Amino acid sequence: MSDKVLLVAEHIDKRFGITHAVNDVSLTINAGEIRALIGENGSGKSTFSQMLCGIYTIGGGTFTLDGKELHCRNQVEANNEGVAIIVQEMGTLSGLTVAENIFLGHEEPFMHMGVKDTRAMNKAAQRLLNEYGFERVKASDMIDLYNFEDRKLVEIVKATYMKPKILVVDETTTALSQNGRYELYKIMDAIRADGRSVIFISHDLGEVLTHTDTISVLRDGEYIATVQTKDMTEDDLKRLMVGREIGTAYYRTDYGETISGEVVVSVKNVNVPGEIHDVSFELHRGEILGFGGLSECGMHEVGKAIFGASWDRTGSVTLADGTQINDIPTAIKHSIAYASKNRDVESIIINESIRNNIVLPSLDDLADHGLLNNKKLTAFADKYAAEMQTKMQNVNQFVSDLSGGNKQKVVLARWIGKGSDILVLDSPTRGIDVKVKQAIYGLMADLRKQGKSIIMISEEIPELLGMADRILVMKDGRINGEFLRDPNLSEEDLIAKMV
Amino acid sequence: MSKTIEKLKASRYYGLILLCAMLLFFYGIFKILTPSNFGSLSNLYTYLQSSIIYSVGGCGLYFIVVMGLFDFAVGANIVLSSIVGVILAQKYGYAGFIVGCLGCGTLIGFLIGMLYNSLNVPSMIVTVGLMLIFESIAVYVAGGVKQTLPENLRFFSGAPGNIILAGLAFLLMYFILNYTKIGTYCNAIGSNEFVAKNMGIDVKKYKLIGFMLLHFFVGIMAILTVSYGTTMTALTGMSTMSRNFQPLMGTFFGVAFRKYKMPIIAIIVGEFIITIIFNGFVALGAPTTVQNIVTGGALLAIVSLTARGAKGSVVK
Repeated sequence: MSDKVLLVAEHIDKRFGITHAVNDVSLTINAGEIRALIGENGSGKSTFSQMLCGIYTIGGGTFTLDGKELHCRNQVEANNEGVAIIVQEMGTLSGLTVAENIFLGHEEPFMHMGVKDTRAMNKAAQRLLNEYGFERVKASDMIDLYNFEDRKLVEIVKATYMKPKILVVDETTTALSQNGRYELYKIMDAIRADGRSVIFISHDLGEVLTHTDTISVLRDGEYIATVQTKDMTEDDLKRLMVGREIGTAYYRTDYGETISGEVVVSVKNVNVPGEIHDVSFELHRGEILGFGGLSECGMHEVGKAIFGASWDRTGSVTLADGTQINDIPTAIKHSIAYASKNRDVESIIINESIRNNIVLPSLDDLADHGLLNNKKLTAFADKYAAEMQTKMQNVNQFVSDLSGGNKQKVVLARWIGKGSDILVLDSPTRGIDVKVKQAIYGLMADLRKQGKSIIMISEEIPELLGMADRILVMKDGRINGEFLRDPNLSEEDLIAKMV
Repeated sequence: MSKTIEKLKASRYYGLILLCAMLLFFYGIFKILTPSNFGSLSNLYTYLQSSIIYSVGGCGLYFIVVMGLFDFAVGANIVLSSIVGVILAQKYGYAGFIVGCLGCGTLIGFLIGMLYNSLNVPSMIVTVGLMLIFESIAVYVAGGVKQTLPENLRFFSGAPGNIILAGLAFLLMYFILNYTKIGTYCNAIGSNEFVAKNMGIDVKKYKLIGFMLLHFFVGIMAILTVSYGTTMTALTGMSTMSRNFQPLMGTFFGVAFRKYKMPIIAIIVGEFIITIIFNGFVALGAPTTVQNIVTGGALLAIVSLTARGAKGSVVK
């Protein structure tokens, strides 16, 4: 890392209505530095970086890059100034070829008198893909032919080929498999070696400690501190992020409890073409059953299969009373809840109020002779939003205004309100800060004590080890290993069955 | 092995085979049912000449349909542009005819685009409102009488004139889609308008361009339509609505086959298939109601086979 200051952010400020998302943040980043930006959900780190990249307008203050003040109105202008971003969600566009996606907004080198040289564009894109080691992706193919991870790799090429002075990586790694992550880390290291810089946003404190030089912490929109990574531990970072000690009961501490013999769900020979093969297991009363594996091992489809949301499924999902679960209404009617990994698309109605999201599956229960009472609905939503300690103005606030952690609280409030006995939680703490994580783990432990059964699907091994009574590890769509809760069980034991 | 099949199924050749199979299927059915008065080579040539008129409109509609927009004023513009073209043709010959149709068509596209952008209401509502206005303007411009294209200006009424003009339109469409930024940007806007904006794309500008291009192609369609029929009568009361749908059917084919990177061929062949179905029923002597039921059903079947979302996916 050199002593040369590359980026200066002075008094950066942003408000969304009454929410002060970024409050007078000032920091500097040196050339050849990988700077982590961490904080709880809603701490302002994404808003800060999106102002830098032209996605949001700057509310106040200035960004100065290499001595030049930035006034970017969109990502292309930011790219031209030497700033690029890789976002968490899908950043490529369907209906376009790989090459068109890579050069979208930057077609000028291929335009001659208004005519686009498609062949040259494809050739240039393919050359870039080959340089990055992604030869399997063909520049002239429609992007729709590729899966989420390959599309993310295309996005990495798109964001970095023009050699930005600053690259923002905004919670991208959660979308990548281990291999994809290695590719991204390599690119980040190459940028650092080249004397350029990276702003790395992640909730995974382990990777923050491993792959960054310095760490800046934001809390409630305010700048807290910048520290040297080598001097920090995960606990130090948690303390800085939350502003207090995180209790020791982060995960469950009990071991040796016997699992109830009462089977609540029996899954037999479940197949989903191309996803899972011949999966059988039983879920017991009061059990937290963990599912782990690499991101495309099929575990996410297991959650859908149990909830009746998996199409083309064969095999059976049977409840203790013999009810077969083949569709979502039957699942909900029989007290099964499901929180998807893809929260914003599959779990939450983003442009609706917190109230309407919470009451949605409970409308029949709340209706009097088929008629709904507004006061009753609001009281119901108030009760469960408060029980989940959702950070909000009131239940009429739109979910789109909430941070990731609070959106997840709304999803859980919905199912707690419904009184579900079997909860299928896919990646329940994905993209969520430590404080909300702690709350969710606490809730899961309470639900377990109440005799509720939970299937927790997770890509985070410590979470599986810390919370599950039993862990099923999946590989290539099949169950490849089973582990009982044990303090001596290690990450390596699970990984050995995953890969 | 399954990956190879997946790759093959995504290739352009597979799309072409699908189109040809559908074409042969419908041709075969009617040829079997009514061998004597359907499907001879000269019949097919006539069907083709009729279908390419709609294909030109289908190409224009493609620009806005991929952006998730819709236009109910296409039929009204065909009538108005035809009438303006014929009136100018009577004074200025071919120059007046072509400039009248293309100029009026494009101007209408410009007005629709501007109004859509400034009102910020759904395109369907804007174009229904404007359809009523354009129908009335057409009656006013025509002076309440049927407009007839002079006999000496009917080069585009049949082959080779109509085929040359339609061919030029298809080439233009191919050029725009493959060799300008417009095609890429229309697809990008349709895929995710927010991301498109963040990529520096001036969304409003390209929507305006999309409407102008659509109605430029409608202008070409007006030349072909009035040349083919030789007269045009202005009518009010949404009577132009029915003219919207046949070009749109071709566009559905184009959008469905976009994944095979061959929307133009799909529009042309798709319109040809629809024309074959129509003419097959005529040859069978089936009443119009039955024709419409079966044609609508066939269109739904074809599009659902080619463009249907994956099971469980959300389709709006």
